[in-house]
Amino acid sequence: MDPNAKPDFETPAGREARYGEFVSLLARHDQSIRRFVRSLLPSNQGVDDVMQETALECWKKYESFTPENAEDAVDEFIRWACVIARYKVLSWQRDSSRDRLVFRESVIERLAQDAMQDLEQRDRERQAIETCLGELDADQRRLVLSVHSPGESIAKIAEETGVKTRRLYSKVNALRKRLLDCVQGRLVEEL
Amino acid sequence: MDDTIRNLIFQAIDQTISADDFDVLQDAIERREDVRAEYLRAINLCESLGEIATESGGDLHGNLHGDLHGGPPKRNDSPASVLDDASGWTWQRLAIAAAVLVLVSGVAYWFGRSNDAEVPQWVDVNQDLLNEPEEALIAGHATLRSAVDLRWSNDSLAFREGDVLPNGVLQFDEGIAEIDFFCGATLIVEGPAALDVESDWSVRVVKGRLRASVPPAARGFVVKAADSEIIDLGTEFAVEVGADEARVEVIDGEVELRGGRHDGDHLVTGEREWLKGSQSRPDAFKGLSTLSDLQRRREDAQTRQFEQWEIYSRQLRTDDRLIAYYPIAESAIDRFVPNRAATGRELDGILVGPVTRGQGRFGAVSTGLEFDRPGSRVRTRIDGEFNAFTFACWVRIDSLEHRYNSLFMGDGYENGEPHWQLHEDGRLMFSVMVDDTPGSGLGSAEDSRLHRIYYTEPIWDVSKSGKWLHIAAVYDPVARQVNQFVNGEPISSEPITDQFHVQTLRIGTAEIGNWGQPLRNSPWFAVRNLNGAIDELAIFDAALSREEIQSLYEQGKPLGY
Repeated sequence: MDPNAKPDFETPAGREARYGEFVSLLARHDQSIRRFVRSLLPSNQGVDDVMQETALECWKKYESFTPENAEDAVDEFIRWACVIARYKVLSWQRDSSRDRLVFRESVIERLAQDAMQDLEQRDRERQAIETCLGELDADQRRLVLSVHSPGESIAKIAEETGVKTRRLYSKVNALRKRLLDCVQGRLVEEL
Repeated sequence: MDDTIRNLIFQAIDQTISADDFDVLQDAIERREDVRAEYLRAINLCESLGEIATESGGDLHGNLHGDLHGGPPKRNDSPASVLDDASGWTWQRLAIAAAVLVLVSGVAYWFGRSNDAEVPQWVDVNQDLLNEPEEALIAGHATLRSAVDLRWSNDSLAFREGDVLPNGVLQFDEGIAEIDFFCGATLIVEGPAALDVESDWSVRVVKGRLRASVPPAARGFVVKAADSEIIDLGTEFAVEVGADEARVEVIDGEVELRGGRHDGDHLVTGEREWLKGSQSRPDAFKGLSTLSDLQRRREDAQTRQFEQWEIYSRQLRTDDRLIAYYPIAESAIDRFVPNRAATGRELDGILVGPVTRGQGRFGAVSTGLEFDRPGSRVRTRIDGEFNAFTFACWVRIDSLEHRYNSLFMGDGYENGEPHWQLHEDGRLMFSVMVDDTPGSGLGSAEDSRLHRIYYTEPIWDVSKSGKWLHIAAVYDPVARQVNQFVNGEPISSEPITDQFHVQTLRIGTAEIGNWGQPLRNSPWFAVRNLNGAIDELAIFDAALSREEIQSLYEQGKPLGY
């Protein structure tokens, strides 16, 4: 099939073909879009809601998504979805701006701008993070992952080791800083 | 990237950031590209760690999450055409497509799923953090209610009045201690003595004489001596344990003996028994202190201590380095606190709002000013320029209720003016404004001003609630050093770097125990009143040496220190 030929939304077959395309794009790039959304919302709260709204909106508007050519389709899709996601974040922000930890609009705009430019950067960082994580010893790795691990918690580690929770948090932050520095170092090396 | 910003970023991600700090962070993100980049890197790091943790951490939350987020779709009337013919699809595609169907019908399933494991976990983490400060635990079984002329043995831990006593051995060579066990029993112990505190309900007497008063609520309290346990069934008994002998006498009520040579015996009022050794000294309990003896001795000793301090204080006020000196402990019931330094009455402190007078560090004979309610403050005005600062005061902290808790604060915090306060986490903070031009600061807020806060390690936690502490801060522009002290001991010393060096120091209008900003054009004031009391404050135009600070402490310390 000619990649530039657009399936027609009007026929059931065309619709299905478009839908298949949409699903596979979404399946492959969910992570990137999610990261983008996450970076505009300091707390995890709202990420799921925004992602849901974004996916719905993307599907509704998918008809208007017309990439120039197949090679760019992937890239363009992410950017296109991120633009939609940004609006969704802003409207979520308006609904919940009285809650704690919601960035004000101007901050979201600034972050969105920068985050859009750095979409590929995030993937490179992810690889570096894995390498840097490998340089920590096992205890450190467990601790820094614990904040995010199912079935693990700082409190549990605090109990096991007898170290105060607050102290562990400062250790976690020290490790996070070390990882950030390590990642930065690796990315610079790559250039 | 400076550490402060990084910490704020992590706090925001962990959702532990305060509203104020969140604003600071937002300002920084908006204004500085490097902060934005760092923030994006940090959030990507944390997201990636979450993904990695989830990948390696198993599927613990899969089911749970299904219930929370992926539950049955509420509507299923999705556009019917989409999946009419799915026969040619692989099962994987089918699964995804089915999920999208759900998604299109209005419930996020598939999107939510990729992040399954994190959601409940974050909740846990935050509850950990939020809960942590709510319930503090202190280990101990008793408190040292009063101590008269107590001299702790060299190899023993030393405690002060009001201290919680953990389990373990207490040993002192002289003096009298009154110990309240948490169960309600009270011991009056005469030195030389050694006790092993075992629990809220039991104590072993290694040596010494004591009187135990046991109210009904504490019935069953056990004193162990030699091979025996003395179980209290009544109100009061005395115990003496020496190297070769041990005996008990019931002053009022009844005790039961268990173990040893009198196992099972009951003793009632006036009866005595040797638990070990022979009846060589029939009058051993004669003169054993009673509670009222102890009270009297204590009051006498407190008065003596107070009088000694008064002599010292009168000598201190002639020190011409003093900018102001408020010996609140001796002050009368007026609505002002006299400045006793040579600088005169102009600098008197005025009591404003609900400041109350309570007991000072020498008990009922002395006075302390309490600042428990937010409007409580003592205002003063100290004009002039100074070459150095030493602040020293006796303070009783009942709790650190606010984020910042004032000791002595310059109103406007303008160039050269000091702020002396305690952070809610127990750290002392001393700072001097370097440049109050808005925007000169290192903080990210647009109007931030240049200053540097010199912190100590935490010096206070809830176990020190209600105790008197002597604290001092020295700002020495010549030696370029900021030194801080607690009870005469140096606890922190930091150099003053060029950037933060202030030559000319000022105070202006200022407050003791609170922070007023009457010069600011705003009806709001920060709530920083000290929940506690201050009973002496001295401010010097000089950098006092370690020895001088130690002497302030030694000459001013209350009974039992």
